[in-house]
Amino acid sequence: MNTICRFLGAVSSIFALGCSADDPVRDQHPERSTRAPVIYSVNYPLAYFATRIVGEDANVVFPAPPNIDPADWNPTPNEIAAFQTADLILLNGPGHTRWVERASLPSRKVLDASASFRDRLIELQDEINHMHGPEGTHVHARTAKTTWLDPLLAIEQARAITDALIRIRPQHSDAFLERFAALEADLHELDARFTKAAEAIGDAPVLFSHPVYQYFERRYRVNGESVHWEPDAKPTPKMWRELAAIRSKHPAQLMVWEAAPREETILRLNSLGVSIVVLSPCANSPEGKDWYSVMLEGAEGLNEAGDQLLAGE
Amino acid sequence: MKDVAFLAWRYLAYHRAKTATLVGSIALILFLPAGLNVLVDQSAEELTTRADKTPLLIGAKGSPLELVLSSLYFESRTPASIKFSDADRISDSRFAEAIPLYIRFRSRDYPIVGTSLEYFDFRGLEIASGRMMAILGECVIGAEAARDLEIGPGDFVTSSPEGVFDLGGVYPLRMSVAGVLAPSNSPDDRAIFADLKTTWIIEGFGHGHQDLASPEAASSVLSRKGNRITANAAVVQYNEITPENIDRFHFHGDLSSYPLSSVIAVPNSEKTRALLLGRYQDDDESQLVDPRLVMDELLETVLTVREYAIAAVAIAAFATLLTTTLVFLLSIRLRRRELDTMMKIGASRNTIASVLISEVAAVLLFAGILAGGLALAISRFGSAAIRALLLS
Repeated sequence: MNTICRFLGAVSSIFALGCSADDPVRDQHPERSTRAPVIYSVNYPLAYFATRIVGEDANVVFPAPPNIDPADWNPTPNEIAAFQTADLILLNGPGHTRWVERASLPSRKVLDASASFRDRLIELQDEINHMHGPEGTHVHARTAKTTWLDPLLAIEQARAITDALIRIRPQHSDAFLERFAALEADLHELDARFTKAAEAIGDAPVLFSHPVYQYFERRYRVNGESVHWEPDAKPTPKMWRELAAIRSKHPAQLMVWEAAPREETILRLNSLGVSIVVLSPCANSPEGKDWYSVMLEGAEGLNEAGDQLLAGE
Repeated sequence: MKDVAFLAWRYLAYHRAKTATLVGSIALILFLPAGLNVLVDQSAEELTTRADKTPLLIGAKGSPLELVLSSLYFESRTPASIKFSDADRISDSRFAEAIPLYIRFRSRDYPIVGTSLEYFDFRGLEIASGRMMAILGECVIGAEAARDLEIGPGDFVTSSPEGVFDLGGVYPLRMSVAGVLAPSNSPDDRAIFADLKTTWIIEGFGHGHQDLASPEAASSVLSRKGNRITANAAVVQYNEITPENIDRFHFHGDLSSYPLSSVIAVPNSEKTRALLLGRYQDDDESQLVDPRLVMDELLETVLTVREYAIAAVAIAAFATLLTTTLVFLLSIRLRRRELDTMMKIGASRNTIASVLISEVAAVLLFAGILAGGLALAISRFGSAAIRALLLS
């Protein structure tokens, strides 16, 4: 009886409820299709790729403040609301930006630029798993984030961005494809330079100042070990001891840094027979340069370091 | 003729109570079938308009009507759930845009609708004040709900437990109101909208708790083995998501297995619509329904009821006609002396008959005008009045 009453109540309630005057159309803002697309990106490399592909009219927004790893950035709700207004939102995959998991973003505008190589993402091993209540163990696994340090993956990301742009602005597809081709050529050139440097380095052990080079190490088969040193911080005695312990098993003569370390750090490393080279992951926008020039500088540095290693042999 | 009309008018004016009663009862009996028709037609139109604007609905196998009532009007019981992967299945097919819905919880009497931002574009809902929800734990609220609860951007609403004895069930979640929607004269006005993930947190699929590696959580930790920390159930869980604790919120398991009550599918074309319908024809676990067809079936029942109601009103009208005739005949008998006096002072039989007929005609005319006015009013303001009545 109760069910019948509830049903009749529901029917009578909805019977006179009005409706909004909306239509189930896909694009309710036709004016958007004529102007340059507004693209928001969660990191600088994707913003750079998008800018290269869209060209002069690019309206690419990368709102993270400078001097911060965008992966660690926590935008405010108002900043997320700005993301919601974009025509296209570029994400770098599940491991890159955790704030995205806690944000409301319009899924039709979101592009996971790493979707095509999700099976090739590198899972990090040092995540804490925990267990409480009756739910059993759960682990919050993450994947390595600097996918663009493998230029071939960067090409796939750029291609995904191009495809998405063509979907929202099909009338500009020829221009997008043309600019993508130029970007792809540049990325192949970068890959060639990295390959040359990696060949010079060969199997020589290499140290990385930060555990952010996973994709680079995998692509170029670098025999690397990572520590967790900050360029602008003075390493503590404990860190030097840990370095010595690592070098006892992994006698690296080359250390790759995200940015140039302090002078005294360089001198002490040199005194230990370790030379340094800077390969910035360039996750955030560099001052006065762009992503590609920073990468070329890194490749150049690695090349020189590789030549020195060869000369040392 | 003028004198006949004058005499009839004076009689009706003198017996105004009797005249008003007759006019009122005849007007009502004339108005009822017309009014009922207008109301049913308007309600049916409004009902089907929302169904018309919802191309397809996907839900668990079961009552299609329950699925439609729940998904479109936030009424009826929550239908059996489907999985979030069902929404992905639609999106991945590229046949349609999928708008997921999870409508299980309430805050007082107001449904909490878990959905994606696409819903607001799809229904044409605009923010009147504040902004769109942006992070977990935020919601936007319909105009009527905001007015009734006297809340706006910056205030809070708390989800209600599902039952009095639901002690081990869902945790009430205190959600901050990010914005208030402009009125849309639809069930959306009475709803509270949150991100799907927020409704999953209400259900307990996601939660936020103390950092188990922190000293404050030491009393809740049972053991630590390498990267594995085991805590007891006393670990402090948050019932409000704030900028300070939002990093502690996380989900367990595979999001694609999380529940939805339904998915609105907006096909790209008639062809993809047909393909989609075909795909679900032999599905054992879910159903794809056309809300318009479901509502049409419901309306067929309602229209049958209307026909019975009109038949009943017709019988009542016939009875009223007989009663009115009786009233007039009795009235003539009671007015015998008055009519005799009229004859004695020179009025002919025809004149007297004309006076009586004029009285009846005037009563019928007034009743007709009143019934017409009521029908006009109901056609003009009927739906708005009913909406106001039901939404208040």
